[in-house]
Amino acid sequence: MPANRESRSVLIGAGAIVCACFLLAPIGIRGEYYLHVLANILFFAYMACAWNIVSGYTGQLSLGHSALGGIGGYVSTLLFIYLGLSPWLGMLVGGFTAMLVGVAIGFPCFRLRGPYFTLTTIAFAEILRIWVENTDEFMGLELRGAQGLLVPLKGNAPLLFQFDSKVSYYYVILVMLLMVAAVTWWMEQSRMGFYLKAIRADQDAAEALGINSTRYLLSAMALSSFLTAMGGSFYAQYFRYINPERNMGLDFSIEVALMGIVGGQGTVIGPILGAFLLTPAGEISRSLLGGKLMGLHLVIYGLVLVLAVMFLPKGLIEPIGRLFGSRRRRPTEAPAVRTAS
Amino acid sequence: MDPIILGIAVVNGILLGGLYGAVALGLSLIFGVMRVINFAHGTFLMIGLFIPFWTWQLFGLNPYVAVVIAAPALFLLGYAIQSVIIAPLFERERAMVLEPLSVLLLTAGIGLILDNLALMAFGPSVRGVQMPFASKTLWIGEMLNINYARLMAFLVSIAIAVGLTLFLSRSDLGRSIRSTAQNRDAAALCGINVRQVYNITFGLGCAILGVIGCFMVPFYYVSPTVGLSFGIRSFITVVLGGIGSIPGSILGGLILGVVESVAGQFVTATSASIFSFVIFILVLLFRPTGLMGMKV
Repeated sequence: MPANRESRSVLIGAGAIVCACFLLAPIGIRGEYYLHVLANILFFAYMACAWNIVSGYTGQLSLGHSALGGIGGYVSTLLFIYLGLSPWLGMLVGGFTAMLVGVAIGFPCFRLRGPYFTLTTIAFAEILRIWVENTDEFMGLELRGAQGLLVPLKGNAPLLFQFDSKVSYYYVILVMLLMVAAVTWWMEQSRMGFYLKAIRADQDAAEALGINSTRYLLSAMALSSFLTAMGGSFYAQYFRYINPERNMGLDFSIEVALMGIVGGQGTVIGPILGAFLLTPAGEISRSLLGGKLMGLHLVIYGLVLVLAVMFLPKGLIEPIGRLFGSRRRRPTEAPAVRTAS
Repeated sequence: MDPIILGIAVVNGILLGGLYGAVALGLSLIFGVMRVINFAHGTFLMIGLFIPFWTWQLFGLNPYVAVVIAAPALFLLGYAIQSVIIAPLFERERAMVLEPLSVLLLTAGIGLILDNLALMAFGPSVRGVQMPFASKTLWIGEMLNINYARLMAFLVSIAIAVGLTLFLSRSDLGRSIRSTAQNRDAAALCGINVRQVYNITFGLGCAILGVIGCFMVPFYYVSPTVGLSFGIRSFITVVLGGIGSIPGSILGGLILGVVESVAGQFVTATSASIFSFVIFILVLLFRPTGLMGMKV
């Protein structure tokens, strides 16, 4: 359809401009702080996209993704400390570890209907967090409990994932975000994407058509776990510090899920949009109020979550998409990109 | 291992487990009737602990007496949240799906708001009620001693479970609740006000926590984050026992309590919670309807 092709080329053009802006951003931005904030936003966008692959596309809500990220961070950091393995490789090992864990969590749950997956992810994440917080040493490895691990400093060593300036970290997370967006887009176009949407819309109907729903849900979970752990490794290397409360806590899981939900689950752009709106909001409320009102930013997050679920169930991407796409798409009967939850 | 120490651990586990079971009752009831997992469940327990704490702190009221305040207050809170926030969403979604995921998200949001409002209001400090009664113990033989406050909480937990069972099986309102749980549309056709039943069920699920909170506070700490670990234990408990089953909930709680308590003798208390998670996964794998659950 020519109209569809036209709107697609507009989209690609807009995407290219946005990408170019981000590639050039470090030149225009003065001051490390703003670059740090931007890198932080990209990090959350990355995590929300990774979460979106399982929760957004299949409708199986995970509230334990922080644990998977934490596994990535801990595995890569421990390998670096004890074996001197470069975190570039360590993050892959962490990714595969989290993948195994993710599949182990998903397998008992995906065979069942109902909220089992959500319950299991949340229970797993909390138990892992509490265990790490209270474990100083495990099989000869020093976990240092609630204090967390420090990544040993090696100066400017790009091969060991350590850079002098924030600019390099910024580019690393930007490339990671583009990569996860590309993977999501590829998955959406592939057979698996269509299967996942069918499962999300009606699991019984999908199975009646011969889709092995457990298998595809597990594949989505494996991919999502792997990518989330890579993000967790990046976080540990970027801050050179990892601790269970921040990196494995429920707050973090909810923050990431919230960005996906507010932006628009089950879309490529939605979670990125959500991260760009909510990360600065959290950052501002934290820096303005400082330590005066503990928990205020989480109250705001809770309110946003309640309001989004009530009034914008498909996320912000929907009204925005309507603004741009409706005129062009309607005559061609837009493909069922988003299925009602 | 010394059998006496093991015996003490088992007894303590049973006392604690009864409490876990009763805490999970509300979650199980709400899920059984509305098919909604209430993620704010732990939060309501937190409120149920803070009410007797403050009435004790400010007015010197005995926490056991504070039940007459806490239970109705939590009933009203639950009733209001269900009728104002959850019900409209339910109406919108019920045509589409059986177990609305967005309602689950909504309750998570409510929990997040209430937890952190409590944090803002009261600060992160850990508080407790000091009662002379709570430090007394009942001696059985030479070695075995049972704390009175814990025993009391256990007995109240069992009483709540029995009372709830009787209420659901004998009273008219209980019958309405059960019929709504079985088939919402058929119940509506028989003239039952389904929305009202949902409101009452949600309120009841919360009111139970108001009662428990008053009996827990003499021997348990109070803090804005106390709800989370109980919420998660409740999820494990109901899956273990069978979602929607009252005796299952108590049985699940007892198993969890004994496992935690006995495992706590061999490993640290936090590692012990890993055992309960392993049991949880095993039940999901081999008996997903729970120990006493019926096939849905």
